[in-house]
Amino acid sequence: MTAAARPGTAALFGIGGALLVVVAAQLVGQFQLAGRAWPPLTDVLAYVTTPAGSGLLLRNGLVTLTAAAQGLLLGVVVAVFGAALALVVPMLRPGFERFAAILNAFPTIALAPLLITTAGREDTPMVIAALSVGFVMFVTMTSGFANVPAAHSDVLTVLGSSRVQRLVRLELPRAVPSFFDGLTLSAPAAILGATIGEWFGAPKGLGLLLVSAMQNYQMPLLWSAALVATALSLAAYIVFVQFQRIAVRRFG
Amino acid sequence: MSTSTIRTAQAEVDRPAARPGAAVTIRGAEKVFSLGRGRTLQALAEVDLEIAEGEFVAIIGPSGCGKSTVLRLAAGLDTPTNGAIEVFGDDPHRLAKQHRLGVAFQEHALLPWASVRANIALPFQVAGRRVDKARVDELIQLVGLVGFEDARPKQLSGGMRQRASIARALALSPDLLLLDEPFGALDAVTRRRMNAELARIWGEEKITTILVTHDVDEALILADRVVVMTGRPGRIRKIAKVDFPRPRGFETTRSPEFHDLVDELTALLDQVEGVDD
Ligand SMILES: Nc1ncnc2c1ncn2[C@@H]1O[C@H](COP(=O)(O)OP(=O)(O)OP(=O)(O)O)[C@@H](O)[C@H]1O
Ligand SMILES: [Mg+2]
Repeated sequence: MTAAARPGTAALFGIGGALLVVVAAQLVGQFQLAGRAWPPLTDVLAYVTTPAGSGLLLRNGLVTLTAAAQGLLLGVVVAVFGAALALVVPMLRPGFERFAAILNAFPTIALAPLLITTAGREDTPMVIAALSVGFVMFVTMTSGFANVPAAHSDVLTVLGSSRVQRLVRLELPRAVPSFFDGLTLSAPAAILGATIGEWFGAPKGLGLLLVSAMQNYQMPLLWSAALVATALSLAAYIVFVQFQRIAVRRFG
Repeated sequence: MSTSTIRTAQAEVDRPAARPGAAVTIRGAEKVFSLGRGRTLQALAEVDLEIAEGEFVAIIGPSGCGKSTVLRLAAGLDTPTNGAIEVFGDDPHRLAKQHRLGVAFQEHALLPWASVRANIALPFQVAGRRVDKARVDELIQLVGLVGFEDARPKQLSGGMRQRASIARALALSPDLLLLDEPFGALDAVTRRRMNAELARIWGEEKITTILVTHDVDEALILADRVVVMTGRPGRIRKIAKVDFPRPRGFETTRSPEFHDLVDELTALLDQVEGVDD
């Protein structure tokens, strides 16, 4: 992601790399280099295009997407609010930072039993998505708030700004690019979080498909569910990168 | 200004030491910056300066002599290492808190995401007042930015940014105006026009003003007194009183007295410049 390479060259490398991966995946499946658990890519695509397959994937994909979107929203709101609060009330900052770090250090899997008993099987995917998002957002927002230029800070000081006005007029607008930076990282994390959350007995979703396909040895289904999850995650990333570009142009 | 009577009364009650009528009192102010790893830099050495209410004072001096530092002290953005500074008989930052301070920074410091209009409206918003649209428009007109109201700072030239920054400083009709080389990036013609506008505003509102400039002519056209500072560490070399009648038009700037004073101060600057390097 360095800006050293020219855009054209970078795109060429990207496309080349992707093609290489696709071809390799096909060959590994074709010649069963990784055993029978790795089907050729064409088999996976064939499954995705059957009406039954596509219907199943679409229904469950939407469930995961919804859980991820809700989790993203929840995580972002809590993290931005927390970061802003830690900024305005400096006393809270060390506590918030430690809390976020501890939450992040906890493996999601270890939290699952706790979440299932508290949030319930249906909402666990959303909560895990929110948790995956929260830490990243908290960190990017905290650093976004912190990187206000001294000259602008001086302007607000000589204008006699209150703490809240400083937040509203300076720190929030200044942190808008960081906010979208955070979203580009968070959106794929939310998809992943929701999918993992669905492993723990969710009634629907890509995570459920993954688990049941694994148990029933339905390799094309397993791989196509993974493919959809990846595609969602990539799409989320691409969408938010566009927003980020706009934000940098407007607020950078 | 409706606050002026209250302010003077307050000054007399709270701080009997401050001379009534003094807007800015700097006594023995020293400023030493720490550069890390135990190294320090003395920017100011023993600056004494008293500025009366309604007075216009210009500060000239070689680059790096501490002119901006003096303004930062007066704005309450920095505190002196030694000595004291009072603004209207109180701590400098109190004036800012009361939204009575206007500052045009050397680096314009406009908010990059806000339009010219929004930048000039900022003081109203920060003070929690309704934005006076007519006042904002008047200021835009005053600094000659009509047609650029909706432009953002990066779409403006350096001189235009400076002018927007001056307009922002004037927005709330402050009681103390601090201008740090506000016309540095302007061409001679625009500069003279801005000088005239500033002189007019000052004539009307009698805002206590400290102007930092490199231009001796500008200092003499605008100021009641001109403070000449020495090179680092900055101290006051001379304070010249400027008695030319106002408004100071061509008759003044062409007069031999004006030229004599320009020559005298320029010679003084040449001298102190030598100290710096
Ligand atoms: N925050 C700071 N930390 C360390 N040194 C500083 C700081 N601010 C200013 N200085 C130093 O103090 C000295 C005076 O700086 P100041 O900005 O007041 O000069 P100036 O007279 O305004 O110069 P110019 O005409 O170039 O604007 C300079 O040598 C500068 O390097
Ligand atoms: Mg300066």
